[in-house]
Amino acid sequence: MTRARAALGLLGLLACSPTEHGPRFRAAGARQPRDGGTLRFSVAEPIATLDPAIGYDEVSYYALHALFDSLVGFAPDGLAIVPRLAARWDISPDGLTYTFELRAGIAFSDGTPITPADMKYGLERVLALADSPFTGYLDDVEGAHAMVGHAATTCTGIVASGDHQLVIHLARANPAFLAILAMPFATPQRAAHVAAAGEQLRRQPDATGPFLLARWDEGNRLELRRNPRYYDPARIHLDAIVMLENTPRDTQFQLFERGELDTAEKLGAPDYLFVMTEPAWRPYVHRTVGMNVFGSRMNVTRKPFDDVRVRRAFNYALAKTHTARLLNDSTVPSHGILPPGMLGRDPELAPYPHDVARARRLLAEAGYPDGLDVTYATPSDEETQKVAGSLQSDLAEAGIRVHLDVMSFATFATAVSLPDGPAFSFTSWAAEFADPINFLEPRFHSRSIKPPETGGTTNDSFYRNPALDALLDAAHQELDAGARAALYRRAERILYDDVPWIWDYHRVTAEVLQPYVQGYAPHPIWIRDYTAAWLDLGPDGARVKR
Amino acid sequence: MANRGAVVGLVLVVLLLGVALLGPLLATRNPLASDVEHGLSALGAPLPPSRAALLGTDPLGRDEWSRVVTAAGTSLSIAALATIIALVIGLSIGLVAGYAGGTIDRVLMRLVDLALAFPFVLLAILLASLFREADLGSSSAPVFLTLGLVSWTTMARVIRGKARVLARSEMVIAARAIGASASRIVVRHILPNVIGVVLVVAALGFAENLLAESVLSYLGLGPPPPAPTWGRMLYDGRAYYRTAPHLVLVPGLAIAIAVIAFNLVGEGLRDAFDARERR
Repeated sequence: MTRARAALGLLGLLACSPTEHGPRFRAAGARQPRDGGTLRFSVAEPIATLDPAIGYDEVSYYALHALFDSLVGFAPDGLAIVPRLAARWDISPDGLTYTFELRAGIAFSDGTPITPADMKYGLERVLALADSPFTGYLDDVEGAHAMVGHAATTCTGIVASGDHQLVIHLARANPAFLAILAMPFATPQRAAHVAAAGEQLRRQPDATGPFLLARWDEGNRLELRRNPRYYDPARIHLDAIVMLENTPRDTQFQLFERGELDTAEKLGAPDYLFVMTEPAWRPYVHRTVGMNVFGSRMNVTRKPFDDVRVRRAFNYALAKTHTARLLNDSTVPSHGILPPGMLGRDPELAPYPHDVARARRLLAEAGYPDGLDVTYATPSDEETQKVAGSLQSDLAEAGIRVHLDVMSFATFATAVSLPDGPAFSFTSWAAEFADPINFLEPRFHSRSIKPPETGGTTNDSFYRNPALDALLDAAHQELDAGARAALYRRAERILYDDVPWIWDYHRVTAEVLQPYVQGYAPHPIWIRDYTAAWLDLGPDGARVKR
Repeated sequence: MANRGAVVGLVLVVLLLGVALLGPLLATRNPLASDVEHGLSALGAPLPPSRAALLGTDPLGRDEWSRVVTAAGTSLSIAALATIIALVIGLSIGLVAGYAGGTIDRVLMRLVDLALAFPFVLLAILLASLFREADLGSSSAPVFLTLGLVSWTTMARVIRGKARVLARSEMVIAARAIGASASRIVVRHILPNVIGVVLVVAALGFAENLLAESVLSYLGLGPPPPAPTWGRMLYDGRAYYRTAPHLVLVPGLAIAIAVIAFNLVGEGLRDAFDARERR
């Protein structure tokens, strides 16, 4: 009886939930960016490390990007390369020699000037470290292989000359090289600091960026403080950035609504729908298409996927609008692997339409007039399962009976890269550096099929096409951006027709900000880069109540 | 005329049983089939009640009406089976303790105290996890077994009290005098006389079990998806309480109505039996 009453009471409470839905604070109304204040945000995972040569995951990147400046960077609103530690650079006509002129007056946070030798050491450390995930990105640098194989202790292709000049010689031209050098690993480091810190280097970053480490209560809270020695103080407005780790999504939104966080990203569906439909919040929701792609890969060497008609039928059978709705309209339908905004993406190509009749016809031509049974491997996270369920019911309409094989992410990741692993599965790719090279070569060049003994196959549709290989290789040598884009468009066209994947969508990042957070939008590569944000607070530095 | 509440309760119970039995026939659409095309807004939000979907849709575009009527059968049968299990245990222990008295009574009642000393939810979580591991072949078996094994204590106490009074009654003394065996006395003389109490505690226990099913489902220990139960629907809908309040209100009201109905019937039965005894 008492329990029954309690249930009724609870129901009553829910029925008349609070009427106050909008932001608690407002912008103070400053015209000019205002200095000062602490920006607070949270992430669901822990920060793995603060060592720029090791940190690789999205969450560690948020911290690393604020702690370390590279030679070059990306423009705040896109993928254009802008100067950072290098004031300017010159590329030789053959694309093999990069001469960087370091900015005058750059220093580590203790005031010691940054020299080209520090820059050289920083890059060489990446080559020398066995567990650095970035070693491969410097593949094209002359002498890199000798260092990776530990035959050499220094890289002949990286030359520090004088007080301000760094010259990098490439063995093979690489038009993505500047985009690679924009990543946080390409930052100067001091050999003395690395040696002194030893094992503790992951907790003792030698900051070169706009912020430095104030405190790290590992697993809970990271606090970054403005770097007083930063060379471009006008770009930085915040006093501090606080990052809460291991905060679940719904907790994040509760803290955000209470005003204890200044931004919230990766909202759960109910919270996302709430801010998108609540007029008081909607203006503060920012959406950016990420440098990613999601779809389903097919092993084109295995039946029934060795028949292009089957692969096309699968593409026609999928309704991309269904995926989009299930993901709360946070997607852009894709016609290939390159996301919007990427060099070489052909805007003329339209995504495969949802056409069940055509899918059935193609299947009949391929010898499956009564449809067919296939198994679809998918990792066990909620979002992927939603998408897989939608694919299952879409394909069923075309007579394709999909049996789901749900596995843990670790099992899934290993299984799909094996030639005799699941032939049909969910797949995704996110840019590590913003260049089509980073999408097309790992996923579709025959070179990216490795023997099963060594592992490391990223072309897990096992797609081999000499014509595509030739185009990708030519584009890898092409230094003129226009000519390169044309080559990639031809490559996209081949893949569009050959469909080694079911092209599905690019994910949109959505982030909701408190009204006083200014000068910020999610970046396509960095996503949560608050280094140049500012807070429109009251004259006393407090958040202004509505 | 005797008890208006009981009549209302009875009508509601009959209606609920009707819905539970006819559930699949009342469903206008497949309760498990997600309909992204028509069941979700362009933003992927669940749709509010409309002519097309009487009680709206859930976050996967499934029809809420079809789900709530289908869930009636599952939820009510879980509560019923749990009550039967609790009744069998409670009745056996209550009758034995009440009739035997003495040391047996004391030991059994301390056992009841022990079971009552465990917080209900903790014990239920433990049992539900164990039963889930055991893989019983049915998705609702772990739930009703758990609830049955947790909720027998009140019944045992009430029945024991009644049986104890009856054990000292002239009727029982007379039966013993003519040489009736203990089991015969319990079955033929005591049991028929506790039936009234049993009905009352069963009706009240049923309501509690229905609510407890939602508690377990709310904790993620109910029957696994996609099969709907009221508790599960409430659990899944809770996060949408601002954008789609019907996802909370529909299963919440279903649970509330059923709990109230069985409580009213239980109280009516109690009044009826009390009245007869007074007379």
